[in-house]
Amino acid sequence: MSSSAEVAPVATLPDAHVAPSDELSREPKRKGGIGITIVLTLVALLWLSPLVLLVTTALRPLSDFVANGALSWPQEWTLQNFADAWGVGNFATTYRNSLFLLILKVPLGVLISAMLAFALAKLRLRFGTAIMFAVFLGLTIPIYITIVPVFVLLRSFGAIDSIPGLVGPYLAFGIPFEVLVLQSFFRQLPDELIEAAKMDGAGPWRIFFTLILPLSTPALVTVFILDAVATWNEFLFALILLSSDANKTIPVGLLNFQGQFSNNNTGLAAGILIAVVPILIAYIFLQRWIVGGLTAGATKG
Amino acid sequence: MGTATLEAPAVDAAVARRRRRKYGGIHAWLFALPALAVYLIFLVYPALSSLWFSFTDWDGLSPTYNVVGLENYINMPKDPVVIQALINNIIWTVITIVFPVVIGLALAILLNGKVRGKPVLRLIFYTPAVLPLVAIASIWGWLYNPDYGAINSFLRLIGLGSLAQPWLGQDSTALAAVMVPAIWLRVGFPMLLYLAALQGISQDMYEAATVDGATKSQQFWHITMPSLRPAHYIVLALSLIDSFKVFDLIYAMTYGGPGTATQVMGTWMYFNVFQYYQAGYGTAIAVVITIIAIAVSIPYVRSQTKEHAV
Amino acid sequence: MTGTYTRRGFIGLSAAAVAAGLAACTGGGTAPAPAGQGGTSAPASNNLRVFTYEDTTTIDLFKEQIAKFDAQAGTTTTVDNLPGSGAAVYPDKLRTELLGGRGPDVWRIWGGQIGAPFVTAKQALDLTPYYQKFGWDSKINTDAIGGMTFEGVKAGVPFIARGIGAWYNQALFEKAGISGEPASYAELEEANEKLLAAGTTPLATGGKYGWHIMRLYEYLLETSAGPELHDKLLKGEESWDRPEVVTAFTNFKKWQDKKWIPEGALGLDPSDIEPEYVQGKTAYTITGQWTEVQAIQAAKKDSADFGVFQLPTDHTPLRYSGFVEGYMINARSGNPDKSAELIDFIVQPDTQKALKVTSSTVAGAEPDPKELPLSYEWSQGPAKQPFYTIQDQAFPKKVADQYFSIQSDLLQGKITPEEAAKQMQDAVSAWAKG
Repeated sequence: MSSSAEVAPVATLPDAHVAPSDELSREPKRKGGIGITIVLTLVALLWLSPLVLLVTTALRPLSDFVANGALSWPQEWTLQNFADAWGVGNFATTYRNSLFLLILKVPLGVLISAMLAFALAKLRLRFGTAIMFAVFLGLTIPIYITIVPVFVLLRSFGAIDSIPGLVGPYLAFGIPFEVLVLQSFFRQLPDELIEAAKMDGAGPWRIFFTLILPLSTPALVTVFILDAVATWNEFLFALILLSSDANKTIPVGLLNFQGQFSNNNTGLAAGILIAVVPILIAYIFLQRWIVGGLTAGATKG
Repeated sequence: MGTATLEAPAVDAAVARRRRRKYGGIHAWLFALPALAVYLIFLVYPALSSLWFSFTDWDGLSPTYNVVGLENYINMPKDPVVIQALINNIIWTVITIVFPVVIGLALAILLNGKVRGKPVLRLIFYTPAVLPLVAIASIWGWLYNPDYGAINSFLRLIGLGSLAQPWLGQDSTALAAVMVPAIWLRVGFPMLLYLAALQGISQDMYEAATVDGATKSQQFWHITMPSLRPAHYIVLALSLIDSFKVFDLIYAMTYGGPGTATQVMGTWMYFNVFQYYQAGYGTAIAVVITIIAIAVSIPYVRSQTKEHAV
Repeated sequence: MTGTYTRRGFIGLSAAAVAAGLAACTGGGTAPAPAGQGGTSAPASNNLRVFTYEDTTTIDLFKEQIAKFDAQAGTTTTVDNLPGSGAAVYPDKLRTELLGGRGPDVWRIWGGQIGAPFVTAKQALDLTPYYQKFGWDSKINTDAIGGMTFEGVKAGVPFIARGIGAWYNQALFEKAGISGEPASYAELEEANEKLLAAGTTPLATGGKYGWHIMRLYEYLLETSAGPELHDKLLKGEESWDRPEVVTAFTNFKKWQDKKWIPEGALGLDPSDIEPEYVQGKTAYTITGQWTEVQAIQAAKKDSADFGVFQLPTDHTPLRYSGFVEGYMINARSGNPDKSAELIDFIVQPDTQKALKVTSSTVAGAEPDPKELPLSYEWSQGPAKQPFYTIQDQAFPKKVADQYFSIQSDLLQGKITPEEAAKQMQDAVSAWAKG
């Protein structure tokens, strides 16, 4: 029983493409699930309820908010906050910068992390244990302890106040999490599969790209989502390393809604919704890749 | 069912392991190199060059400082806030691991099964994790308002007005009051990882078990849970570190207060490094956090680097 | 064990080592010179960089004025702005820039103990010669200059001096039958009782962060101790373990026990609770002139329905709590002369008016009585009185936080006023000695 860790992969692989699609086709025919659906829906509504405050705040004029307080029901409704917030938050610029950063950083981060994870999980990397420890430790290092050396380092590269300059530190601080998750998933892929591919004459690179990665789609997409959210919301590095308005990212731009003595709360709420909604939409599309049976056909069966 | 398939692969695995030794070497390093290089330059080097300051009295701003040896470390046990922070850290870590992981696992299993509107439900339970902390702190601050907040209003509505509290305004409830939003926003993470892991369990195993007359609960304990063991490891390991280094949620919601009632190691380090101009001492706290993390991570790393769990 | 090292040298060296290791990727041959000293051996540069924290509503005005200065002084000035970051984030960014590179030539900063570390660390230039050259001593409010003088070194030029008073809702005062603004502490307590009887919580205050509820305690201390003793207490020159301090703590607790402050005030966020006097939920709050724009007018209400009075201390001079903001010059600036000229330009009354500074340290830049009647009223009355340094600027952050902790323990009934006074003495003396 101690080897139960192996149960999943061994059982999975030949059926990986069968199981989910099977489930999908079965689902409508089965009765039941209604009770659970109702309970989960109620829990979900409760879960979502605090966000009502965010939405009502975004939809009322600032004067109404200041005159009546956050918890009052709006006397007046408006969409103007969104138009204003777009300008105040400098979203035309910060959106472009954040998106550029995301596209530059996240795929690259997932790729190099997957490579290291593969080396750790399957390639008998020398000093593997030491490297695992070193990577694990990275999780505990707070950004603000390292901020001055990172600043000096980037300055010596001439990479201060530039979006590409952020990629290095962002990659480094994303690596521990990504490597640990991916190596945990890679480890569960059976060695027999790799052996079989080797018999067919595949080298490690081909095995990595045509076998390991496609088989790990749920894990890769999960890591991609989590990393994208972290990148999208990262504040401290962006705050310290970027200076000019033209280079700021969304979280730094959100500071524009705060003043020394009071906050433009309605603008901030609208700004937060503007900042968050695309990530949520992306999440809806991406999660299909985790659970939707879209991995089918990846294996040659 | 599970054990039957085990025997053959276990033998194969032993053979495979021997063959695999041919791998490694230069290829392994080529795979490892890009990530390791970035990691060394932008994380390990800055962290190590900061480490030095834990042996100094540097204020975090002056061009000069004095080396004070282990003084910062020796002073730590005498700092009453450090003791309180450690206790808070332990409470925080236990609660904010147990609840999100259990709820997240339950949601993952339910949302992987027969439920209508799964994509929407999966979205809703993950949404809090996407919000910036400034939003979370404001919203929950409003909900906890002793006079008008939704929580006390609800208690009064159902006739439990006597339980209404100034939740964030007294030492006795403040930490618990911050844990609730922490659980709220952290459920999405284990849910997502478990959802991914559940894709690796074949439906056939459940079908076979059903044919054999196994109940749902037997299936859960004998198929689902064992199959998720690697996922448990990684979820627990990551949650442990994440919980232990908590900083920004507490900072945003209570600022460590009232008084120092909700200080944790992470916030106390931040206050020292940045706000009190005691960078030497603050860095020493960071080092202690890291050392504790090493200690708790040893079992995990060893479990991951053993050949296989045979 | 106590050899003094140059921190910059250390980081510089190790950065150089890494840079050398990476020379292939960077392609740059320039040596990393984070130290910056002598980095500009060239004649004084006319390129200046200013770092500030203007709100988005005023940054454009600021940039306009800087452009005007550039035109007349022949400089090229870059403005980096970090709005909304407050005293918690802005200094972090400033210090990183100063440590990691040259840093800005001129930066805005709060006075007192928030600005002090930059002077202690010798990052800010001693401006005494420029004070003489531009005659700032005679043009700028003396108390304000005191807030930018650090152990005798004039290292900053204050341009804003903000004062704290009681801002109240007239309708609620009338409803409670309060005829005039309280002129003594006893009258204020009386007013509180009347308000409470009329069903209104008197004072809107919130203890999250500590500094907001502190405004009540520092007022109570000024009242019980008087100006002279209060100043000595703030400098650690007199022991806090004394009856006047105990009286102030006793009164502080009384304000809570009598429900003169909101229930659970310790956990309330100041930015949520302060506007409640505008909302009509509480009668008054203790705050500064900015509230006229950011609470009264932001709620689209009429200033005429509100009022402001100086908290009565029963002492002469009648002082209020105040704090300053000003500019400092980088000790390593490439052109300190032009930087000083820039600051002098900013503290001209005309510039101050153009910047819409409502609480300027220079005469001739008062707020417009039509636009901001209450702020104008304050500027004509209390603002001409002396003020004491607001306590969270009088103490370093660490002592201030210990002080807030003591406030919190007292209000929760964990310690007595006598114990609170003793603990304050321990915290303040540890700092004053060190």
